[in-house]
Amino acid sequence: MAGIIGQLDAAIGNLLSGWNAYSTLLVAGILGFVGWVVYDTQDADTHPLLLARQAQASYVRQPRESAIFRSPETPHGYPLKTGLAVKPPGAPMYTAGRDGDLRDIWRRVTGEIPLEKNNAGSTGPGKILTVFGKEDVTEHSISDLSKEIGVIGKHLKDHGAKRVAVYLPNSIEFLVALFAGAFYGFSPVLIPYNQPHAVVIDLLLQTGADALIAEAGSVPLAEVSKGVPGLRQVIWTVEKTSRHMDWNEVPEGFGGKIDVSVWHELVQDNKTGAAELPQSPAQPPNIVFIWQEAVGKPAEIVKFTQQNITAATGALISALPGAQRINPSDTFLPADSFTHSYTLCLTLTALFSHATVIVNSVAGPGIDLTLASRKIAPTIAVVSAETALKLHQSTTVSLTGSLKKLAHYLETRMLTSGRLPTDSLLTRLNAPTRAAIGTTPGKLRLLFVSERAGQNTPPLTSEDLSDLRVYSSARVIYALSAARVAGAVAQTNIYDYRRGSSTPPSQKHSHFGAPLSCVEVRLRDTAAHKTTDEHSAGEIVVTGASVAGGETALGINGTFREDHTLAYV
Amino acid sequence: MADSSSLPPATGAAASPVTPINLVLLSLFVVLVYLRLKPAKPQTLPRAPPATVFRTFTPPELFPYNGQNGMPVYLAVRGRVFDVTAGRNFYGPGGPYANFAGHDASRGLASGSFDEDMLTEDLDGPLDTLTNLDNEQLEALQGWEERFSEKYLVVGKLVPVGSDEAKAAAALQ
Repeated sequence: MAGIIGQLDAAIGNLLSGWNAYSTLLVAGILGFVGWVVYDTQDADTHPLLLARQAQASYVRQPRESAIFRSPETPHGYPLKTGLAVKPPGAPMYTAGRDGDLRDIWRRVTGEIPLEKNNAGSTGPGKILTVFGKEDVTEHSISDLSKEIGVIGKHLKDHGAKRVAVYLPNSIEFLVALFAGAFYGFSPVLIPYNQPHAVVIDLLLQTGADALIAEAGSVPLAEVSKGVPGLRQVIWTVEKTSRHMDWNEVPEGFGGKIDVSVWHELVQDNKTGAAELPQSPAQPPNIVFIWQEAVGKPAEIVKFTQQNITAATGALISALPGAQRINPSDTFLPADSFTHSYTLCLTLTALFSHATVIVNSVAGPGIDLTLASRKIAPTIAVVSAETALKLHQSTTVSLTGSLKKLAHYLETRMLTSGRLPTDSLLTRLNAPTRAAIGTTPGKLRLLFVSERAGQNTPPLTSEDLSDLRVYSSARVIYALSAARVAGAVAQTNIYDYRRGSSTPPSQKHSHFGAPLSCVEVRLRDTAAHKTTDEHSAGEIVVTGASVAGGETALGINGTFREDHTLAYV
Repeated sequence: MADSSSLPPATGAAASPVTPINLVLLSLFVVLVYLRLKPAKPQTLPRAPPATVFRTFTPPELFPYNGQNGMPVYLAVRGRVFDVTAGRNFYGPGGPYANFAGHDASRGLASGSFDEDMLTEDLDGPLDTLTNLDNEQLEALQGWEERFSEKYLVVGKLVPVGSDEAKAAAALQ
């Protein structure tokens, strides 16, 4: 026994006898490395097991269908979200609130319905700004906007308009017309901008519009009035530089059939009218959306009720965790057109949360986000998949040089471990390539990207989304939107930074996360895709309060993966 | 300690970096750096049990589901089949209410009796229509049904042999 210990002792002594300066250096290096690891390690943004199973599956499934999948906010057995939970001012916090409609959203903007207590920061009216090209950013006074809503709404209602077509780019007049429809009982038909004239006339005929609000000169009045015999009212919106011209003229040969008015003249003439908006208890009418692959292509006409829109808005509000929700200190930029229900519902979310909403007419499926955010510093932006892909491609092209690639790789590693990269000494020394969004780089905190089901939108892989997180240093949410579903069908978790390891190579789109809390999703068996005990696949069927008609089949095949996220199959 | 090992190496000569202790320390360093840089496997949860398929039962088809031979325990109340495997101690084999398992338990629950004569004997015949129950029994049955709905999962419906629904369900298989 003593012999072995003695031998061990001698062996250790021999080992340690070789101690020299290099050994001390190595020990210092090891201790420094361990110390840095201890300092640098932080918890992930969310628990990884929460991302390991995202949607909740029901325990029973009907034959030939999959289980019903729901958001974890509305588990099975509880009702789905049906609206905004609007509480009248002074109601106790625990009351359920009613569903509400667009009028309540405007009342929240004007300050009539105050923000909930836990969102303290602003009880006054919200803020809406408009960006005009390269010029300045102008703020609109909310009381003036209320007056405009009153004037336009009253004008259209007095002339008996029931379906008012709105053919405008993203602009404040668009929002005013939308809210006027809710207060004064006419149904706005939202036509995507920049169509060929023949398509506009065709859409006006199909939707049965009897009034039109359009930009002066964007549609030829002669052709429209010939092509749409039911049209009675036209209101031109005129940009400031063209206001000296007389747009009231009706070309010869029309008789008194169409009444042409000009927006700014109407507002000016009735400036001193009452500022109160009507409080009628009647339910505001539907809003008609047009679902089109691109301008000029065949269109699907979808009628959403007020409940569809408010259910989607409420679900989008609660889809974000409390710390990340839209709050009064945010600046919201919708860089996709308002005629897409996802963008519109997110804009209503921002208005409802008293964020500063910036309206830019440079908005649409393929715009450049750098150009759209040239004069402003948005903290939240909504873009289409085309814009996100363009941003990704243009920034990747400029990512050259091994140092930049190393910085990008390090930030990607941090994302994969579950944390959003922040500015540290390392990034200040060697900054990765960032996309130029907004005047103040790094202010963007949330980017919503929407995928349109069945419209051939370009796919974004989860690696693309992860790269976008590094480029924009913001969290990116990818959402699946569909024609007959207001808002979105499913949306990724805000803290889900995982890069697809379970994506089959044939599938280029990233997964879409869990369904929103206003819908439930199931997969119906088709000839090619069936649900078994091992996996679910089939045609996506969506049911809920935000679906036009209550239930709809999207016509697209999907699957729910191991982590219960919806994906294309 | 042997005094030869306590002498440091000659200070004039350059200290060689390759000594056993240095190699040990270097390999320790390399192992630590590797462990830190190794990409972590994403955490996964074990797969959840698959969803039960809703099924249209006829009494003979429901009969085997009485907990024996490893089958789950089902019972039917007013046409709805409940999965009561969680209450195996009561409804499974050897339990006090074991007579209900695999059968239509409506009359037994209404009358509060677990006798054999509460169950329909002829499995191929029509279902028990429960027409001769008085109000008190119907109320009791309603209460039982609500308790079952809250506690257990509905996994099917019970239809008589030879009915249209039974034929349609058989055609689907």
